[in-house]
Parts: sequence; structure tokens; C-alpha cells
Amino acid sequence: MSQKLLDVENLTMKFGGLVAIDNLSFSADKDKITSIIGPNGAGKTTVFNCLTGFYKATAGSMFLNKENERLNLKKFSDFKVAQKAGVARTFQNIRLFPQMSVLENLLVAQHNKLMDASGFTILGLFNSPSFVKKEKEAIEISKYWLDIIGLTHRADDDAGDLPYGDQRKLEIVRAMCINPHLLCLDEPAAGLNAKESAELNKLLLFIKNEKKTGILLIEHDMSVVMEISDHVVVLNYGKKIFQGSSKETKNSPEVIEAYLGTEE
Amino acid sequence: MEKKFFQTSIKDSLFTGLIALALFGPIVGLRTVAKNEVLEVHPKWFIVLIIVIVCAVGRFLTNLYIYNRDQKTGIQSSIGKSISNFLDTKGYQIALTAIIFSVIFPFLPFTDRYLMDIAIMMLTYIMLGWGLNIVIGLAGLLDLGYVAFYAVGAYSYALFAIHFGWSFWICLPIAGIFAAMFGVLLGFPVLRLRGDYLAIVTLAFGEMIRILLLNWYQLTKGPDGLTGIPRPSFFGLPFKSFPDEGEQTFHTFFGIEYDPMQRIIFLYYLILVLALITNLFTIKIRRLPIGRAWEALREDEIACKSLGVNPRNTKLTAFAIGAMFGGFAGSFFATRQAFISPESFTFIESAIIVAIVVLGGMGSQTGVVLATVFLIGLIEVFRDFESYRMIAFGGAMVLIMIFRPRGILATRKPTITLEKSSSK
Repeated sequence: MSQKLLDVENLTMKFGGLVAIDNLSFSADKDKITSIIGPNGAGKTTVFNCLTGFYKATAGSMFLNKENERLNLKKFSDFKVAQKAGVARTFQNIRLFPQMSVLENLLVAQHNKLMDASGFTILGLFNSPSFVKKEKEAIEISKYWLDIIGLTHRADDDAGDLPYGDQRKLEIVRAMCINPHLLCLDEPAAGLNAKESAELNKLLLFIKNEKKTGILLIEHDMSVVMEISDHVVVLNYGKKIFQGSSKETKNSPEVIEAYLGTEE
Repeated sequence: MEKKFFQTSIKDSLFTGLIALALFGPIVGLRTVAKNEVLEVHPKWFIVLIIVIVCAVGRFLTNLYIYNRDQKTGIQSSIGKSISNFLDTKGYQIALTAIIFSVIFPFLPFTDRYLMDIAIMMLTYIMLGWGLNIVIGLAGLLDLGYVAFYAVGAYSYALFAIHFGWSFWICLPIAGIFAAMFGVLLGFPVLRLRGDYLAIVTLAFGEMIRILLLNWYQLTKGPDGLTGIPRPSFFGLPFKSFPDEGEQTFHTFFGIEYDPMQRIIFLYYLILVLALITNLFTIKIRRLPIGRAWEALREDEIACKSLGVNPRNTKLTAFAIGAMFGGFAGSFFATRQAFISPESFTFIESAIIVAIVVLGGMGSQTGVVLATVFLIGLIEVFRDFESYRMIAFGGAMVLIMIFRPRGILATRKPTITLEKSSSK
């Protein structure tokens, strides 16, 4: 049995008297796509914010299992979750660097690696060969990802000038450029048309199969969820009400009740 | 359509006239004169009338020719486009010409002492603008207290030079380091602040430094200022008309006549070199990871965090490096003036530097030069009409805001392009 990549146990998040997440436990596999679904306000994004260090969870534990170490995600504060633990995320409302070029966006994602190579800027100022080499590698990595999403020809344009669908894809590959173990996607299909969501599915499956990166997905678009998820966790009012395969989820009475209400 | 537009324009300009009347009526129109120990009011309605008419007609004309959206070839867009096109295509040549011009400038036939002084002043502002451009233009941190670092640089240079007698080239880096340390000192408490809030705190910081300098009498001599700051020497050769016994000076060493202009020319080249170093450094660092992180931080701090960029270190380096160049400029100022007092470091200086950066176009190096030449030049042209200088300054700002609302040069060039790097 393969070890779980992410173990979340009894996670609770309270804002004053409001319990946003209530005793939530779930796990995510390496090279699997785990979807978190639920009605609006169910606490899905809060789970992400806790995982990626934007919020400090009130109680519970979150562990990330790398090959031979077990990292407690609660110990990392905001940017360190990405830097040290390798948990990347995207945002519900796209957060690119709109006035920087597409290529620059991807290079910022490789900041820590490049910063070390530039000897905290001093070596970089003098164009040291090791830095130049590292920078070239970083550009190659960016180019690799741009080829995959088919945006190589727009590499030097401002990211803010891209069409909406391309911005979504760019944000995902930008997160991939930090070389994460776990990729958290917050509604990547929001606002995409049918063709674009199909492309998105392809991209996510590629990341899962070729890069062996675990994916945690929040999504409302059921065509995306049902087609690519290996595992679905359903939340309502901060509580987990169901988990299982996408097929089981579709037929679960609890889930239908949460989304549609009961017949009186 | 045309007629309706005309009507709204007239209405709008009449309204502008009304506002002008309300503003200038009491300020300009009612003048009090003390006569026979009684205060009398002498109304000056004629001048008010002229001002109101000028405002109304000016508004009408700008409505008609500049803000008119129906007019496809509005002056605003056409002038703006031609400027930015010209600078985009010929940017390199323009920069080269400007550098060559500034190198030969001291030896041009029309250059006199007065022009040299203005040129030195402009270069100081350009250097300060370039330094602040790192903080405001790249990292997007609106710093209204930049003059504090200028002051720290000037005072630390002056104190080290006076008390220890160290030479300019030793005191210069020390002043830079001191200013950078103050940059970090300011940076820490404001890490979480952005935009307006940051601006207020930095403004207060600038005032704090000035008040500290004013009141720490034992160290800074307070309002009396520091005098007798050593003049810079040309690699150990001082500029003096009457050398002491057995002392080599600049003119005896080179066997030429003494001329007070020699020192001015040396100072000119000194600030030119310092400014160009600032520029080269900024251009280079923009292309390094730290520079890109600064710009990314300006664009979206939360996205930066999600990518593992450390916002604290990134901001602090921006503050420190920006402050360091302010400190360099400050030590130049101290050595040039040979006298400094807190009066030279008031808020208006910060405001002018911020205006230069913002009007030049945030983050644009050439824009800083253009804005400095335009603003400082205008102030100087109006030197003879002293009380109108600030009107000229304000007018220049208004003109830039009308024609180039995002700064003279608002286009940003990517720091790296895929085409170039893959063809390498």
C-alpha cells in the first residue's frame, strides 16, 4: 500500500465563534487527484488557507509525507510552506503578476533556487558562470511548461494581457515551477468554457501521471470533478459529510441532500 | 451629438469658474492692509476676475481639445504616443547621447559657473530619483521619507570626516552603510503596511530624523549645523589656491593655473559617476532574482508568498539598497556644501524626489532623468521670479498629469525575453 502524501487529522478552524472547519480528517495520495467539493461557504478555501499557511489552524494536525520525512505543516508560516515543504497553490481569483511578462512570472516561481545561485545577489551582479548556468536552466524549465500549455509564443507578453483561460493555465504551471509535492488548486475551472475545461483536465492528468505530484482540487464544475478525480471529499458547514470515488459520490444521498435539499 | 458636447463643455467650464471664484476670491481678492494702526480690507476683484476667466477658458479648451473622446486624434494621445514611440525605438541612442553630452558638458563654450551648479543639483536629484525608484518604482513601496536617508548619509559623512579626518572615499561607503542600516530600521516596523498607511509612516520617519538632527545638539550641533566639512580632493590632491608649505595641490601637481572652476568640474564628474553607478546597478539588479522578486511583490504580495518568496527579506533589501544610494547622494551633498543643517532635509525635498519618480513613470530610469530636467529646470528658469517658482513647479506637474497620466515614460520592458535568451 502506498503511503498517503497528505494526512489531515481533526483539523478545526474557528474565527471567533464561527466554526469554519469542524474536526475534518482526510488524506490525499501521491499521484492521485483528490477533490474537495461542497456548497458555497462550506469551508473549502479555508482548508486550503490552513494547509498553505495563510491561516493558523485552531486545532488538529496536517502532515506531509515526503520520501523519508514527515513534515508537520502547522510548523511552517505562510511563505515557508511553499519554500520548505513544497506545497504550491493557486487562487480562486487569479493572482498572476499582471504587469510582468509570462516568462518572468515563471522565473519568480523559481526565486529561491535562483536566489541561492546568485549568491544573494552578489555573485549575480558579476555574472558568475554558475549563476548564468542556473538561470539558463530556469528558463529551460519555464520553456518546458510553456510548451505544455502552448503559450511559448506569448512568453514575452505581459501576463495580464493573456486571455482568461490562458491566465488560469499559466497560474497552474507557475505553481508547478516551484517543483511541489502537493499542488492545491482553488477552482481552476471557474469561468472556463467547455473546450478550455477539457484542456485543463488534460493538463491536470499530465501533472498527476507524469510529474507524480499529488493534486488537491476545489471545484464546482462537476464535469471536471467527475472526470478526473480519483477521490472526492464532500464538505458541508465545515464538516465532512462524505468521501469516496467520484461514482459513489454522485449517487450518495447525503451529497444530493447537501446540494439540493431534502424533499419534505 | 456635437452640440450636446459643446453644451456640457460650457457648463463644465462655468462650474470651474465658480470653483475658482470660491477659491481665489477670499485668498487673492481680499487683501488686508494695516493703515494708521487699523486693518483695512482692499478688495482686488479685477485680478480675481482675470484668474476666474483664465480658469474657465482653460477648462473649456482642455475639454474641447484634450479630453474630447470623439476627436480621434486628441492631442493627449498623439503627443503621448509619439513620445513613447520615439523613446522606445531610439532609447539606446538617446541614453548614449545624453551620457556623451553630460561628459563633455563642462567644456562646452556656454557653460559657466551658474550652469554647472544647476547641472550638479540636477544630477544629485537624478541620483536620488534613481535610488528612490528602487523602493517606489520596483518594489512598489511608497516612501515619503526618503530625505531621511539623504540626511543620514550627509551627517554620517560629515561627522566621520570632521572627527576622524577620513577621506571622502572611505567616508562614502560608511555613509552608505549607515543609511542602509536606517533603511532596515525603517523597514522592520512597516513590513505589514502598504499604500497609504506605509506612506504616512515613512513620512513620519522622515520628520523624526529631521527633528532628531535638530535636537541632538551634542552630536549634530542642532540648528547651527555642521561646518568645516572637508572638501573632496582629487586622489589626495586638494583644490586650494594657496597651498601650505610643501603641499601638493591639484594645480601645482599638473602645473596649471589655479581656477575655482577646477573644483566645480571635479564635483560635477564625481556626482556624474555616482549617479551612473546607481543607474547601472539598478539596471543590473532588476534582471537578477531579487529585482524580479521586488517587482513581483509590487504586483501581488499574496501570490509571492504562495510561491515561497520571502516578503520580509525582499522588502528589507529594497529599503536598504534604496537608502544606501540616498546615503551616497547625501555624502556628496555634504562634501559639496561643506555645511549642512537640518534645514536642507525638509519634507519638501522628499516630495520633490517622489514627484520626480512618479511623474517620470514608476520604474523608468529614463523617465527620472526627463522629469528631473523638466521640474528642476523649470524651478531654475523661474529663479528670478521667486514667488512664482512653486506655481511653475505645480504647473509642470499638472501638465504631465494631463498629457501623461501614468508618468512621462510608463512602458515597462521585460527584464528577460525568451527570444533573446534562447538565441544566445
